[in-house]
Amino acid sequence: MSKNSTYKNKSSVTAIKADKNGVVGDWFYRELFEQVPFNMAIIDRDFNIVQANKNFGDYFGRWKGRKCYKVYKNLDHPCVGCNAQLTFQDGRVRVSDESGVDQHGQEAHYVVHLAPLKPHKGEQVKYIVEMSRDVIETKNLQMEYQLLFERVPCYITVIDRNYKIIRANENFRDVFGDVHGKQCYEVYKKRKTKCPNCPAAKTFKDGIVHHSNQVGINKDGEKAHYMLTTSPLSRDINNIAHVIEISTDITATKKLEKEVIEAERLAAVGQTVAGLAHSIKNILMGLEGGMYVVGRGLEKDNKKLLNQGWEMLERNLNKTTSLVRDFLSFAKGRLPELEMVKPGELVKEIVDLYGKIAEDMGIELAVEKGARVKRAPLDPKGIHTCLTNLVSNAIDACRMSEKSKGRVTIKVYDSNGNLTFTVSDSGMGMDYDIKKKLFTTFFTTKGGQGTGLGLLTTRKIIKEHGGKISVQSQKGKGSTFKMIFPRKRLNDLYDDGKQK
Amino acid sequence: MSFCLLWVIWIKIGRIWMTEKKVLIIDDEPDVISYLTVVLESNGFRPYSATTAENGFNLAVEVEPDLICVDIMMPQESGLSLFVKLRRESKFSDIPVLIISGLEQEQDFDFRKFVDSEDVSPPDLYIEKPIKVERFIEAVRKLTSSTHVKK
Repeated sequence: MSKNSTYKNKSSVTAIKADKNGVVGDWFYRELFEQVPFNMAIIDRDFNIVQANKNFGDYFGRWKGRKCYKVYKNLDHPCVGCNAQLTFQDGRVRVSDESGVDQHGQEAHYVVHLAPLKPHKGEQVKYIVEMSRDVIETKNLQMEYQLLFERVPCYITVIDRNYKIIRANENFRDVFGDVHGKQCYEVYKKRKTKCPNCPAAKTFKDGIVHHSNQVGINKDGEKAHYMLTTSPLSRDINNIAHVIEISTDITATKKLEKEVIEAERLAAVGQTVAGLAHSIKNILMGLEGGMYVVGRGLEKDNKKLLNQGWEMLERNLNKTTSLVRDFLSFAKGRLPELEMVKPGELVKEIVDLYGKIAEDMGIELAVEKGARVKRAPLDPKGIHTCLTNLVSNAIDACRMSEKSKGRVTIKVYDSNGNLTFTVSDSGMGMDYDIKKKLFTTFFTTKGGQGTGLGLLTTRKIIKEHGGKISVQSQKGKGSTFKMIFPRKRLNDLYDDGKQK
Repeated sequence: MSFCLLWVIWIKIGRIWMTEKKVLIIDDEPDVISYLTVVLESNGFRPYSATTAENGFNLAVEVEPDLICVDIMMPQESGLSLFVKLRRESKFSDIPVLIISGLEQEQDFDFRKFVDSEDVSPPDLYIEKPIKVERFIEAVRKLTSSTHVKK
């Protein structure tokens, strides 16, 4: 649009009075010709510009006595496929997109509207009025938009109500392959039917933006993970004709995540092996000790030593058996089987189970009351094992302390989107070097009683839920173990499980 | 060679002349206590034992041993924490201490990894479980001999 076009004569236009024959004065048409926000030019059959308005002059420069193709396009001959030529022949209105040169020699893009001027009905067209309007800004915007659409580092598709892809950007086509005339579920997921839980369907229905995590299959048949946003492509919520699907590829991130988990798993295996070695070394010490003592007993013909050594051998052989059993149950890598459960009930089960045992030892086992905790997807068996381990450790810690009255408290609560269980005891606490070794190698501080696998198994189950475990302890004061499960992760795991 | 022979003879003479050296074992595993007790007795030492760090410390005050052998992983208080306590007690600051544990291999044991108090010097020796009797006895002899000079 020409910058110097104004509407200051608008009021005079409305106040026009026609004379008694219904004819408006020539000045009006001249004024109109000058003021319209277009470049106006009138050409004759020989392509001479016979009249043009100020806008035209401002845009294309000198025009008097020149040919239109010279002025518009700086050519020395009529344009190939000249539209004006055709309009002179058939008298039809034509609109076309043209490129030319403005008065500064810069490339110009404009839309031309050609209208024939016929002096009388039935006569041939003498003049054509050419109304053109600069579209360079629009063109640039279009190009930018096109570039953005094609090159933006995400996948964009537009689908209609039948889930047919009507547009897709370069990035999407490169990864997912040909989209021509195909349904979105065919291209995104190589399916024959509409996806269950389709987010686009939701957007068509409610007209709002939906976010979801999806797994598709690219053109090479590999899995592609992407975060998808579906938005309505219409201002009218009640009548959405198209949905635009924009997604970010997170395959690489997912892969990294997997690698990290794998590395952690390997590290855990390494630590487990180291821990196992420690347990076996202790048992070996007992067995070698038993042999040594039996040997001395035989040497000295001493029955007491013989008995003592023999007992040592028996004891440590039994330890081997129980260690192997625990180890096998630890090594069983099973995925958590998540179901919606009330965390409070899991805690209650543990209290029912251990309350009496603790009471007999003079230890109070209690649940700290807090706000009601919403259901969460958890593996009830796994969490039961974790709580069992933590509570029995807490009871042992109280038993080993000199304090007469021990107390173990379980708490479950939600904070910052995390479901948290805590098990605290008023027992003997731990010093720094024990705390440091707590989860790295599985050891036991319970002498002959423990195999040192309880906490390791606990940590493993928590990690499988996408959670973490932390411990605070003060020597002589007691310890607090925290199991922290981000609810978002739990829900993601639960959804993944449902999709499988 | 001849030096070795002389040394053996000297030891034998020394045995007759010297009173038995007192060795205190602190380990929460009763089997370790039984084992080391028999080993030490068979080799002419007088063993004392305790199953917790605290009892070990009290016993040390009572019998003033020539050497203390202590395990690392024990309930309530670890052996290293007891070791630090002994080193900081002027009465025991020079007593030789032998750490016996299955935690780390002998060449990998790094005392500073567990205790970063600079004022405490590392223990005299670390021996890995399960012990080799000859090596253990040799270490005990060395650490209890009057020629053993503290680092």
